[in-house]
Amino acid sequence: MHFYGLPGSTLIAIGAAGAVAIVSLYVLKLRRRPVPVPFVRIWQRILREKEATSLFSQLKRLLSLLVQLALLALLVLALGDPRGFASNKARNVVVLVDASASMKAVDVASALNPNYARIDAAKDEVKRLVRGLGGSDRMLIAQMDAGVTPLSTMTGEVADLDQAVSLVRATDSRADFPRALRFAADVLLGLSSPEIVIVSDGNLGEPRDAAGEVHLGQVAVSFVPIGKGGRNIAITGFSVRRYPLDRDRYEVMLDLYNASKEPEEIELNLLGDGNFVDVTKLKLNPGERLPRFYPNLSGARRTLEATIKPVSGGHDDLPADDHAYALLPDQRRIRVLCVTRGNTYLEASLLLTTYLDVTYVAPSDYPVKAQSFDVTIFDDVTPPVAEGSGSVFYLDPSGESSPVKVDPAPLVNVGFDTLDKKSPFLRWTAVDDVYVGRAHRLIPEPGDKVIGASEKGALLLTGRRAGRRFLALGFNPKDSDFVLRIAWPLFVLNVLTEFVAEDPSYLSSFRTGEVWHVAVPTLSDEVWLSAPGAPSPKRVPVQDGRAVYLGLDAGFYTLEAGPRGAAVKSEFAANLADADESAIEPVAALTVDGKTTGAVEGFHVGVRSEWWIALLLLAVAITTVEWATYHRRITV
Amino acid sequence: MSPKQKRLIFGVLAVLLAVVIAVLYRRYVWNSPDATLSWTRGATTYVLRSPRLLGLLLVAPVFLLILPRSLADLPWQQQMLSLGLRLAFVAALALALSRVARTERAEHVYTVFLVDVSDSVSPESIAEATRSLKQFLGARRKDDRTRVITFARRPRLVEMDEMATEPPVLARHDADATTHFGAGTNLQAALQLAYGLFPPGYLRHAVLFSDGVETDGDLLAEANRAEKLGVKLFTVPYRGAIPGEVAIQRMRLPDHVKVGEAFEIHADVYASRAGQAKALLYQGEALNGLDGARTLTLVPGVNDVVFKSVVRVGGEVTYRLELAPLGEDKFQENNRVAETIDVPGRPSVLYVEGEPTRASPLASGLDRQGFDVDVRAPSSFPGSLRELERYDFLIVSDVPAEQISLSSQELIESYLRELGGGFLFAGGPNGYGPGGWYHTTIERILPVRMDAERRKDMPSVAMSLAIDRSGSMTGLPMEMAKQAARATVDALSADDLIEVIAFDSTPTRYVKMQPARNRSRIENDIARIQAGGGTEIFPALDAAYQDLSVVQARKKHVILLTDGRASSSGIRDLVQAMAAESITVTTVGLGAEVDDQLLSLIKDFGGGRYHKVPDPGSLPKIFTREAEMIAKSSVTLDYFPMKQVAPADFLRGIDVATAPLLSGYTATKMKAWPAQEILVNADHDDPLLARWRVGLGYALAWTSDVKARWAGDLARWSGWPQFWGQLVHEHMRQKRRSELPMKTDVFGGTAHAVVDAFDADDRFDNNLESKLTVQGPLPGGASTTVMLRQTAPGRYEASFPLDRYGSFVLRAEHRRHTEDDRVVPVAVSYGHVSNPYPPEYASFEPNLGLLSRAAETTGGARDPEPAAAFDPAGASVTFHQDLWPRFVGAAIVLLVLDLLVRRVRLFDRKFLPKTRTA
Repeated sequence: MHFYGLPGSTLIAIGAAGAVAIVSLYVLKLRRRPVPVPFVRIWQRILREKEATSLFSQLKRLLSLLVQLALLALLVLALGDPRGFASNKARNVVVLVDASASMKAVDVASALNPNYARIDAAKDEVKRLVRGLGGSDRMLIAQMDAGVTPLSTMTGEVADLDQAVSLVRATDSRADFPRALRFAADVLLGLSSPEIVIVSDGNLGEPRDAAGEVHLGQVAVSFVPIGKGGRNIAITGFSVRRYPLDRDRYEVMLDLYNASKEPEEIELNLLGDGNFVDVTKLKLNPGERLPRFYPNLSGARRTLEATIKPVSGGHDDLPADDHAYALLPDQRRIRVLCVTRGNTYLEASLLLTTYLDVTYVAPSDYPVKAQSFDVTIFDDVTPPVAEGSGSVFYLDPSGESSPVKVDPAPLVNVGFDTLDKKSPFLRWTAVDDVYVGRAHRLIPEPGDKVIGASEKGALLLTGRRAGRRFLALGFNPKDSDFVLRIAWPLFVLNVLTEFVAEDPSYLSSFRTGEVWHVAVPTLSDEVWLSAPGAPSPKRVPVQDGRAVYLGLDAGFYTLEAGPRGAAVKSEFAANLADADESAIEPVAALTVDGKTTGAVEGFHVGVRSEWWIALLLLAVAITTVEWATYHRRITV
Repeated sequence: MSPKQKRLIFGVLAVLLAVVIAVLYRRYVWNSPDATLSWTRGATTYVLRSPRLLGLLLVAPVFLLILPRSLADLPWQQQMLSLGLRLAFVAALALALSRVARTERAEHVYTVFLVDVSDSVSPESIAEATRSLKQFLGARRKDDRTRVITFARRPRLVEMDEMATEPPVLARHDADATTHFGAGTNLQAALQLAYGLFPPGYLRHAVLFSDGVETDGDLLAEANRAEKLGVKLFTVPYRGAIPGEVAIQRMRLPDHVKVGEAFEIHADVYASRAGQAKALLYQGEALNGLDGARTLTLVPGVNDVVFKSVVRVGGEVTYRLELAPLGEDKFQENNRVAETIDVPGRPSVLYVEGEPTRASPLASGLDRQGFDVDVRAPSSFPGSLRELERYDFLIVSDVPAEQISLSSQELIESYLRELGGGFLFAGGPNGYGPGGWYHTTIERILPVRMDAERRKDMPSVAMSLAIDRSGSMTGLPMEMAKQAARATVDALSADDLIEVIAFDSTPTRYVKMQPARNRSRIENDIARIQAGGGTEIFPALDAAYQDLSVVQARKKHVILLTDGRASSSGIRDLVQAMAAESITVTTVGLGAEVDDQLLSLIKDFGGGRYHKVPDPGSLPKIFTREAEMIAKSSVTLDYFPMKQVAPADFLRGIDVATAPLLSGYTATKMKAWPAQEILVNADHDDPLLARWRVGLGYALAWTSDVKARWAGDLARWSGWPQFWGQLVHEHMRQKRRSELPMKTDVFGGTAHAVVDAFDADDRFDNNLESKLTVQGPLPGGASTTVMLRQTAPGRYEASFPLDRYGSFVLRAEHRRHTEDDRVVPVAVSYGHVSNPYPPEYASFEPNLGLLSRAAETTGGARDPEPAAAFDPAGASVTFHQDLWPRFVGAAIVLLVLDLLVRRVRLFDRKFLPKTRTA
């Protein structure tokens, strides 16, 4: 036995002092109250009875003293916080509590506690394990979600472990089972009787990651299964993309999943900027995954949300995957600089689209200082390209600043004899029979791509100079019937959209449980992230212009880049979007390292090593009994 | 107050007290959502960590109930005082049991040192870390505690005293080549292990000694969580001298390489110090032709080394760069990198020709049309579907059935059905029925049947058997020869013509040319043949030629059986003359003494077969097979024009009506719809070219031949290359019909592939069934298949672990289910990823940016002073200080006081009489 409380000498001193005091008080004789009794015989009889019971009175007095001393001993002993003997067989246990999204399922709820979820049941199970720890056993409690978070040290302190259990919180992510197992193995390395207890519904996947299968050696693994139902409908995919050319419109993809064993009827709502876009009733067969597409949508500017709910009679144990979020990419206007002496056809084509910011300047006013553009159009002029000009579209280039050599000898009455019809610059155009009165042959350099050519030479080519993309048309459109065709504005539109393509890596929503690399709208390294439901934004690190964050919760996030107060805000969304996590049917047994995990053993609920609790409880019981006996004069 | 009243009052009070305690307990304890109860008084917060044990207070009313029945001889004041003390005693114990505690603030620091001991860290750096650690431990304050973790791929806690002032021994982890425990750096895992070491009541600090080169995990993402968990991270980059090291960090190949077009290969070669290295670049197994071996002069840092290369033949091309540093180089693993690209070449055609020497008309025609043609003899037919997959179109021409095994025929069917390949079966003397293809897998997949009805206007077969009856044939050979002749008669149809010529030095017509229906008479005549005499072949063949040349039959055939040698004089000319009249000759040599050369010559010029038979017992079988082959063949040797009977895109621009005549074909019969007849014999309307779909591919039947025998004039026609070129183009495997770009990357040992699919209108292409095949490490690595999952409109993604090192090629097939429930290929995607060696060996410069950002995120700093690791910097941590011992102590005092009250009369010491009420 060990004492973890006051030192032994102090305990002895307290005990001795208390004992002396108690014995001294018992040595004192209580001064009895004189009671005049008028009837002598009665008094004589009392005195006779007193003689007869004097021995018993002595015994009662002694017993009373012993009771008081026992009480004192119990209390002094409790102050010493005695524990059981340390054992070589003391176990070291890592409890991995599954905090993945499926643990939010309420299949374990009752009528009395309708919000009782699997995570609550898991916490109760862990508390039982804590109560059942042996005298020298130690335990570490860790939350297992997309990461692994130890919530306590490896300790035998029940209070600390209880506190750790209270910190467990279910997230909207899947559990990284291999990572958690590797962590547990690291913790248990070199410790006696190592053991891992997994408290989970068992939807953890294979214990294998990029480094291969997890091997645990001699570490015992046991499993506490949680959950009893598996009825769930889910949104397992939700995304939106703008069309590359028609940026006003977008397409939405939804992936629905019925993880139940029964068919489910659901109501699907699609909202754009908070307004209903579509309401549909669907029937999903057991195990069915149904992708749905909403093409050619318009109206919403930023946010999209989808919700599903069972229609009357339906049932859903996991509401966490019934809501999904997405954000449309910013519809940024293209900044176009048009360097021209005046070109009605060009100006007219640039008026046909709404998302252009066009600045016209005369050749003498180029470059435009302190401004930057996405695309610059040089109409019949070829000045040196200034910084901030973006990609460049040349109409009939010439001179030394031309990106390609131009044959000064004019070509007369030519057309496009060969065309790269797959080129994005020529999408939806018919230019085979364009008549060009006067043109100049463009001489491509290695790496340039000829898109259109007459028999006499290239007329339309593209390439890259000094990192800047360009497109050169070897004639002035006004010298052809090109400008009279519907193909002309389409061609100009193609050029602009191809030069300013949507970021192909744009994601309308991130997946929870993954490390997100979110594009930061400014060059600032000071980035603050507001998570859904979080009381205040928190600063996140930036790497290569992207904020790095391991997201665990679904919803809309706000990113603020730059100094507080002058920050540029951007938003993004995150979803669970994980069919495996939505399949919430509990698993009865797990297989880890080729072995099927067993049930937990050796955890016996009791007062465990904290004997002071038992001592105090005993003291309360004794003092209650002693109170009764004293006042009924059984003890004195 | 009467005792009864007293009991009543105390009883009521007890009940009231019980009710009050129960209500309060239920409201504030039992139904509390929190496991603990807390309240703040002043600046101090108190907490009950096991509040449910406050339920012990429910025993308090018991004390009240007992008091009115007390027999103790104490004044009522003392009794009440005793009651109060006893209730206080019980309350003190109840509070102790409910673990009353108060929050305290402390500035003690618990610092965990995380020391990187991975392979990329030099021994000097570890020694530097040990020295630095000693300085840090020396700065520890009295109440601070420390632990040390070393880590590489995984972290380990080092045994040491929390109060130690000397650093422990920092040992490397297992550097076993098979486990690669040292060949990795996981900063995140080390930090996570540290979380589990911080006890309550201490500020949490971690000091990371590392080069910041992480191969697993994500320190920055973990830094967010560290900050949330209150862990302040300090980082100390290794700055020791980097040992001499040369490493190929990456080899970059263009995304698209064209056959014959020169391109550049960039290699990022890291050198820790200036030096030289010899570089060898291999293309496949051979040195790169343009730029294969070079001595590089390297400067410290990353060197961009450029090689020029060109691919001459399309397909998968693996480039391997090997470095041999001419100076110090610590790790050898990073001196070799391989990358594989898929170079789209010209469409390839496998042309299996029964007579490869005669393949040039078609092969050269296809070559001029832009195809790579691989001409092979039947014996070189590909042995696996994988090898066959390399070709876009397959031609089998004039090959006897016995030369294409059953398994090869099944390969052809799989090639069509599963891979969508194109297949043309061309005729000739050994094609279709004459080649023994009747009732074979090939006949099943072709759009024509080979049991064509015979034409009524002439016998199908006229056959002459020339049997050697020389003296050497006496006995069993002669008997078996006669039995073979009888079997031949049985194999023929009634209208077929047969004659039997037995020859020694002169020929004798034992059976004159007559219909086979006279079987009994013919067999009697055969029985009369007697052996004896010499051997002269020419007269016998000449007699057969004379007889056959005057009869009408679609097929005229001679079987010559001999067991000896004879003069060859004139035979060649004779056989050529027979061939000119479409008389074919098969030779059978019996025994070892036969003149192989002569019989082979006859076969070659006679267009038949040569059977060398050691055992006379097999003669009947051979004769029967020859008879069946000839009888069931329906080869027509006659000049005829071809006629188009159905539209076909591949005939656009080709006027078949002007094409020269063909001189022979095999009569076949069209199968039912959907078999499609394209070209026919204009004279007889027999199928000449037919096609249909088999699975994903096309099977075509060309009943004439594709060489000079029957298509000699056509092969000289100007439209010949275009005809075959367009035919092959339209029906070949459409693997490059559309290509969708694939983007790939590798992070943390996991490859990620993304394909964006747009249709012709630039709309998103949805609902594709996309299968990704990953092959590697090359060369020769296994193939695995993963499905690409659609994650957004037009976007398909897949992730898969790269658990081996090397180069991998990715090939995605995108298919779509049509409305009639067919699966059609839509597009393909190509990509490649490389995982050349453990990334631990790729970089040796400290990643200062990462170490700075991670530290700043948690409120820590890079390169802290030793004292900073233990400096609370104004922060403090709250922790619960257990107060239950104090309450137990109070209970002891209360116990003694209670005893005092019982044992010493404190009130009414003069025993004043009790006042009585009237």
